[in-house]
Amino acid sequence: MAEAAKKTRHHVIVGSGVTGSQAAETLRECEPDARITILTLSSLLFYNRYDLPKVFRGHRDWREYLVYPATYYRDWKINVRRCSRVAGVDARRRVIALDHKEEVHFDTLLVASGGRGYIPEDLTDFRPLMHGFSSYTEAMVVANEVPKKGHVIMLGGDMIGLDLARTLLDTRHRVTLVAGPYTFWPHEVDDDERPALIAALEKMGIEVLEGADAGGIVSIEQGAPGLSARRVLFRDGTELYGDVVMPFFGLSPSVEFMLGSGVDIERGLLVDPALRTTTEGIYAAGDVCQIWSDAERRYRFYYGWKNVRAMGDLAARNITGDDKPWAPAQDEKLHISGDGKLQSPFWEYA
Amino acid sequence: MGEIKPPPQASGAPVSQPSEYLSDDPRDIGWVKQNVPCQTACPAGTNVPVYIREIIERQFGRSYETNREANVLPGVLGRICSRPCEAQCRHGWPGNGEPVAICHLKRVAADLKDAGHRITERLYSPTGKRVAIVGAGPAGVAAAHDLSLLGHDVVIFEREERAGGMLRYGIPEFRLPRGTLDIELHNALRLGVQVRTGVEIGNKDGQMPMSSLQQEFDAVLLATGCMAASPLPLLGEWEQRELRSMEGVEYGLDFLMEMHRGVEKTVGKRVAVVGAGFTALDCARVAARLGAQEVTIHIRTAEEYIPVAPEEIFEAKREGVRIKGLRTPVGLTVEGNRLTGIEFVQNRLGGWRSNGRRQAIPIEGSEFHEPCDTIIIAIGQQTANDYLGTKLELDRWGNVRIGVDGMTSHKGLFAAGDYVSGASTVVQAVGHGRQVAKRIDAWLMGRERRKQVVRIVPVDKPLRERAFDFITRQHMPTAPLDERMRDGKHEVELGLDEKLAFEEAKRCYLCNLRYQIDVDRCIFCRACIEVAPRNCIKLVRGVEIDEQGAYGKLLETKEWNQVGAIWIDNNECIRCGQCYTACPVQCISISRCELTEVEI
Repeated sequence: MAEAAKKTRHHVIVGSGVTGSQAAETLRECEPDARITILTLSSLLFYNRYDLPKVFRGHRDWREYLVYPATYYRDWKINVRRCSRVAGVDARRRVIALDHKEEVHFDTLLVASGGRGYIPEDLTDFRPLMHGFSSYTEAMVVANEVPKKGHVIMLGGDMIGLDLARTLLDTRHRVTLVAGPYTFWPHEVDDDERPALIAALEKMGIEVLEGADAGGIVSIEQGAPGLSARRVLFRDGTELYGDVVMPFFGLSPSVEFMLGSGVDIERGLLVDPALRTTTEGIYAAGDVCQIWSDAERRYRFYYGWKNVRAMGDLAARNITGDDKPWAPAQDEKLHISGDGKLQSPFWEYA
Repeated sequence: MGEIKPPPQASGAPVSQPSEYLSDDPRDIGWVKQNVPCQTACPAGTNVPVYIREIIERQFGRSYETNREANVLPGVLGRICSRPCEAQCRHGWPGNGEPVAICHLKRVAADLKDAGHRITERLYSPTGKRVAIVGAGPAGVAAAHDLSLLGHDVVIFEREERAGGMLRYGIPEFRLPRGTLDIELHNALRLGVQVRTGVEIGNKDGQMPMSSLQQEFDAVLLATGCMAASPLPLLGEWEQRELRSMEGVEYGLDFLMEMHRGVEKTVGKRVAVVGAGFTALDCARVAARLGAQEVTIHIRTAEEYIPVAPEEIFEAKREGVRIKGLRTPVGLTVEGNRLTGIEFVQNRLGGWRSNGRRQAIPIEGSEFHEPCDTIIIAIGQQTANDYLGTKLELDRWGNVRIGVDGMTSHKGLFAAGDYVSGASTVVQAVGHGRQVAKRIDAWLMGRERRKQVVRIVPVDKPLRERAFDFITRQHMPTAPLDERMRDGKHEVELGLDEKLAFEEAKRCYLCNLRYQIDVDRCIFCRACIEVAPRNCIKLVRGVEIDEQGAYGKLLETKEWNQVGAIWIDNNECIRCGQCYTACPVQCISISRCELTEVEI
């Protein structure tokens, strides 16, 4: 491509998390004069979601979470459009439709919209009684709801939830985990490994209840006056009382706005090892994409801070002319440390 | 392609037509087909905007009758329709939000009509002609109903013990309560249609030969559907093996039919369903109710391309069913004669097939194994022709070929529904049954007796408010999980109540309302353009007329000296009525345009 044309290209990134922000930075390094726009649903500039458990350590000011000051974006000529919901993508016209009816044209598009906390369909009726933890706002809401030394009931587990559990235990909260198939997500754990890993959680101070042993959850209810704020009722008649109920069942890729765009989707956007989707000029990176693995002969997700940041960097380099394949940037194995506690590479960030 | 300049009003009629009139002008017929996408998409041609408007007016009985004019089973289809109308609904077009819950509103008409509601039928005097219909499924029942109205004596032959076909034997009760089905079948067939159940057509002992039907009746309609399960195409050593005799192998349709005939079915703890249609989803949900601990639907492409309503998929997931995509079964693993798992190959998505479905392309060397103890194969159904005792001309898919007159290669032998089209949907079967009934009538009587026209009724004010455009789709209340799983027959969808129905009905744009500007009275003040919420009012120098004689492309212009008219682009119009209210010279008129049939 002619240098002049390259300079004037408009690179649009959907998502301002670790992946999107890293991609913007790399794009700017590779194409100093190109237009770069980040579209994000968030009202805040890029902050590290992995740091959110710190709200329970008293870090409540949103400015503490920002990775870069606002001037960074001005200096790097990265246009961040906050509170922008993407309604759809017209790949043929190279147009992104925003929810408020505006259209944004792009030359290349990087979808880095990540994932949101998945809630199993049988629990969706109880969504209003559960507290999410996927944004600063949600983290603040739950931090304000849980009293000192309060009791948090975690459903599922997953490495995001268990990371929060570590902080909650450090800050003298009580954590009960209703364990199930998602407890060690995204790690793939064999049945024979599981008892030792559950024991490691208990060693860390988490009270573990196997959800299946209690017949699964029947309902989540608001607690009665004078009792805890939430009650979780199980099919076998047992019940749990807590101050909040938090679901942690892994991530569900945020792909709705890409439906009908022509880009191939299974659960996430399907990309080749160079992070190209099936539509020319559209790339995907981070928790939203399933990458073809030549070694495993399947499309698969790669999670974790190091992985998604590396994906942002790789996508940007490939957008600007490279053609390098993806290689995982972190280990995927769960460990039990010498003191008997669980250690996950997923918890190594920043 | 012709061009009119300046554009005339539709069918040349004055804009302020004083009263209702009928038009067979191709521009009017074309207008309805272009502008009422839900009705055009409905294989039965249901007049959707009219029945929704009647719900707003709380005339549920009338709404039910409007439905029945096109489809004799509104309460049934209001529950299990594949909803091609909603896929085309203007409210679901980009930027307009979600489609109107047309199907749920159909059910509202059926559920909320008065008890003892009066059914209206347009009866013709007896013709003395006799028609035999083979198969009491949706196509056969729809055809029988229409033929009996037209004065013919109709006898249905059905091999099962009860009428209903796939509706009774293929669809689980938690989606279609049998009480609803029985009432609507009874209503459809009570105008003198004889139903002889337990009668199998064929040449074996105890069966009735087709030749005797052809001798006894003036016309015979084959509507036996697609009742033979398609075999699973496996590879290697499995290619030639007979799977039916294996322990843990079920074919989806047979599994459901046996269950509905009263056979007690069981499944293993870990059930794999292979297939991506309603049958696959139904089998998975039945398996969950039968106590399977893990039920997974394995599909070749991705969830986005499953031809099933998203609500059904969501409810299946709520019941614990999982969906795994991009995989094709290539073999099974067994211990002795007992199934222990499935060998899959990983797919990637390919292009689009001519039937609108996505292709899946296997990736060489990507085989993998998934353990299971029951496999339910639900990859489709085929027609069975061996009972005929005579050879009919078939198409390349093995379905019976019929001409435009609905007749097979044998004189007097007609065919309809899935038996002709291959496995399709209930609404397609109903629609096709009606179409072929009309052809049979024309053949028996030697002439067409009804024709399609547009009824055009002046409307004195907009029937919608702009605020209605911001109402979000009302969600269908469903039974709690415990209740539905405790009793495998408990209906999952509970139906919209009157309040929800009213809110949902208000969302309909009423696309059958035609807004027109009288060019002779327009003073080109642009007031209508200024209040329009969309780019729906345009300055045009002309309008093309397409090959069918209907309005085609608008020839827009920005040059005042070329403007022939200010034209309402009904394709963009959301019938909000803003222009009508703003016009200072009342040059905008509204008329309701409905496709209907009249005697010739």
